[in-house]
Amino acid sequence: MAINIKKFKNDLLRLVPLLFLIYICISEFHTQFYMWKIFSFNLQFIIIYYWILRDPSIIGYGFVFLCGMINDVVLSLPLGTSAISYLFVSLVAAYVRNATVRSTMYTDWFTFIIAIIIGNFITFFLLTKFTEIEIEYSLVFYNSLFTFILYPAFWLIFELYKRAISLRTYD
Amino acid sequence: MATSRDDFGIAIRSALLQRGARQKFSLFVLILISIAIFLLDYSQLKPVKVLRSVINDGVYRISAISSSPIKFTSATKDFFINHLFIYEENKKLKEEVEELKKNKLSNSFLQTQNKKLQEVVQIEEKLSFTTVGAKIMLDKNSPYLNSAIINKGQNSGIKLGMPVLSKGHLVGRIVEVNFVSSRILLLNDLNSRIPVIVSPTGEQAILSGLGDQKPSLEYLPENFELTEENSVYTSGKDGVLFSGISIGKAVIEDNRAKVKLFTDPNQIFLVNVVLDKATDLEAM
Repeated sequence: MAINIKKFKNDLLRLVPLLFLIYICISEFHTQFYMWKIFSFNLQFIIIYYWILRDPSIIGYGFVFLCGMINDVVLSLPLGTSAISYLFVSLVAAYVRNATVRSTMYTDWFTFIIAIIIGNFITFFLLTKFTEIEIEYSLVFYNSLFTFILYPAFWLIFELYKRAISLRTYD
Repeated sequence: MATSRDDFGIAIRSALLQRGARQKFSLFVLILISIAIFLLDYSQLKPVKVLRSVINDGVYRISAISSSPIKFTSATKDFFINHLFIYEENKKLKEEVEELKKNKLSNSFLQTQNKKLQEVVQIEEKLSFTTVGAKIMLDKNSPYLNSAIINKGQNSGIKLGMPVLSKGHLVGRIVEVNFVSSRILLLNDLNSRIPVIVSPTGEQAILSGLGDQKPSLEYLPENFELTEENSVYTSGKDGVLFSGISIGKAVIEDNRAKVKLFTDPNQIFLVNVVLDKATDLEAM
């Protein structure tokens, strides 16, 4: 019984990053701060990139796809736009995981630029070529810039969390 | 060189096709499914549109429920901030009431005069609207779209393009209608274009969203000079929006004619969707 409760707690803790990702996609969770005009960042990119790179068993590709679909519905983008973008971010993360032996925060951070560029380029391309939505390039640029700048902070938080759940698992 | 290209190929192939122990689909399959869904949505086939409408309604409801803790936190914060400034606000309001009392007398004279003049020029007095009240369910900004979702849709007679008012002022128009929900494109969105008239001079212009709080006035006559007295109303020139809906005050900012909206589109909670112009009888 005690082992079952412990297993349940551990499983629940491992689910937290995924639940957080789903929550920020489906709810009014703001990562676009209107009062500071240019300050916004893509928290979904950060979560997907970090967890696919460091521990892909936490967030599966299927859930990344699902979150993309939810995000499209909530933001009224054509269905599939965010899903394709998120899956390409996952692809970069999976590639980096396969290609590197030992990754550090700096290697993750550096390769994250490629993920941001590819992810945003796909969204930008699909929206400009297939819809009439006008895009403010500067907002997308600042969004990408702050997503990149904030990555180490989230890396640290997620790393501490990952260590905490690993310790519990092998306790 | 050839080895490094091979390594790249192997790593990419592995990333695309590899599945984890608990994963049912590879990245490659999911990317293909996403592209197929995107193309289906792009095709705008009727069954797809109906399906999307049903999905939208479902997701919006779940979103509204899941956003309630965020809304509660925000409302609590506003409540405390309002209480901190209640004394000053009361003092200011008392002064405003005095000022309004003075204006009321002159207004009643102007109203009588206006009515008489309208009788002379035989203008129909149809400034009231038939509206349906709705609540904002979800208000999420993105770098791509500034929009809000309301809890009324086709079932309440809402159609595409209908103007949306908050506290009697225009805040946006309907751009997506589902069965029990709709989406408002806010005036400050980059994709928003509204034909307007600048009062009292009567110049025509286009109100364009800039992605920030104040939309700009475009296509004004070259020698036109804005003053603080200039207010902006819908002109109804597009044949979609009704004329005479108040929008905001004209201001000059960064050497550009902008409009300070009477209602901040990011602070709206309850709105009215204008279904039709009311007849004089209905308005009474």
